[in-house]
Amino acid sequence: MEHDHMTIPKYLGVFAVLVVGTILTDYDATIDLDSIFPGANTLVALLIAFTKMACVMLFFMHVYWSPKLIWLAVIASFFWMAIMFAFTMADYFTRAAGVFTT
Amino acid sequence: MSAHASDKFVYHEPGLQHQFEDMKQQEESVSIGMWLFLAQEIMFFGGLFTAYLVYRSRYPMAFAAGSNHLNAFWGGLNTLVLIVSSLTMALTVYYAQKSNRNMQVIMIILTMIFGAVFLGVKGIEYTDKYNHGLVPMAGLNKRVKADKNAHHEVEKPCWEVDHNAPPVEHPNPRGEFLWTDCSLAKLAQDKNFLTPSERVGYFTGDQIDIEKFKGMVRIFYYLYFVMTGLHALHMIIGLGLMTWLLWTAWKRNYNSEYYMPVEMSGLYWHFVDIVWIFLFPLLYLLGRHFMH
Repeated sequence: MEHDHMTIPKYLGVFAVLVVGTILTDYDATIDLDSIFPGANTLVALLIAFTKMACVMLFFMHVYWSPKLIWLAVIASFFWMAIMFAFTMADYFTRAAGVFTT
Repeated sequence: MSAHASDKFVYHEPGLQHQFEDMKQQEESVSIGMWLFLAQEIMFFGGLFTAYLVYRSRYPMAFAAGSNHLNAFWGGLNTLVLIVSSLTMALTVYYAQKSNRNMQVIMIILTMIFGAVFLGVKGIEYTDKYNHGLVPMAGLNKRVKADKNAHHEVEKPCWEVDHNAPPVEHPNPRGEFLWTDCSLAKLAQDKNFLTPSERVGYFTGDQIDIEKFKGMVRIFYYLYFVMTGLHALHMIIGLGLMTWLLWTAWKRNYNSEYYMPVEMSGLYWHFVDIVWIFLFPLLYLLGRHFMH
């Protein structure tokens, strides 16, 4: 069996990336990026979160060295979630908002 | 082997369960089963994230106002606690692969300690919400008797409440959800970035209606409690798994030949960590740049 992919320094390296990501997330919330375009703050926070998630999945969960079938299960689950988000928001974003001028 | 009256010697790896051909097949079968379970878990939480997406896109200022009353320090601390516990969990698997029983046991205990710290901090936060009337269900908040002799400050319009002031205790005889501050709705109105839904959802005539705004903040708190509550339930189940793992690792059940239960429990633990990685910025850090 091959299970010598990760060493303790590598685990600590991934851990350091996760800590830095958390600090960056916190910093991101205190500066006003929404003045660039609405939702920019959240977009940056989510990009950091996705990076952190990728680190955890690839290295802590060993997906990087896993068979193609595991990759398929991982990607498929996110694909299904993307469908759920996209179809739900396709409804909500295109509804008549019911704006009455006040 | 001696029990089987076979004339051929078949090599049988000690960790191989009889229904599998070889160790590789066993490992892949176990992994794919666990990953399909996790895919199901992603959909499970995904439903809540969808609800969050719908309501936040419609009422962003109510979400920002609600989020500002969560304590970002506790949330950030819990993020770090979970990341450390993920590291110790990953090292548990590492030491199981190295057949190191003592380090395995130490790492499992550390993981459990950090998991318990996380739940403790969650308890502190929930208590705070209870004390300040922020649980979105009548009767589940601290009851504060209306005292006629108490000195109350003059009622201000909701948009003049200072959102940076420390929370004030309001009379709350029935333990209901309380919200008095609509200053962020006013800010969005003045700067003209209310969403179309907000223009309808917060106003009665051309006045901000605190009761309507409160209803939208209540939705934020409802999502906060359901999402963090479901996550905390996963942590409790994870601690149960860890207890079992501690017992079996103590009995030297895992080594470089057979460590799948450790690896699979690790996948579950990391998954719970990943959910928190998203919950932290989405619940705790909204609109902080409006505030400070």
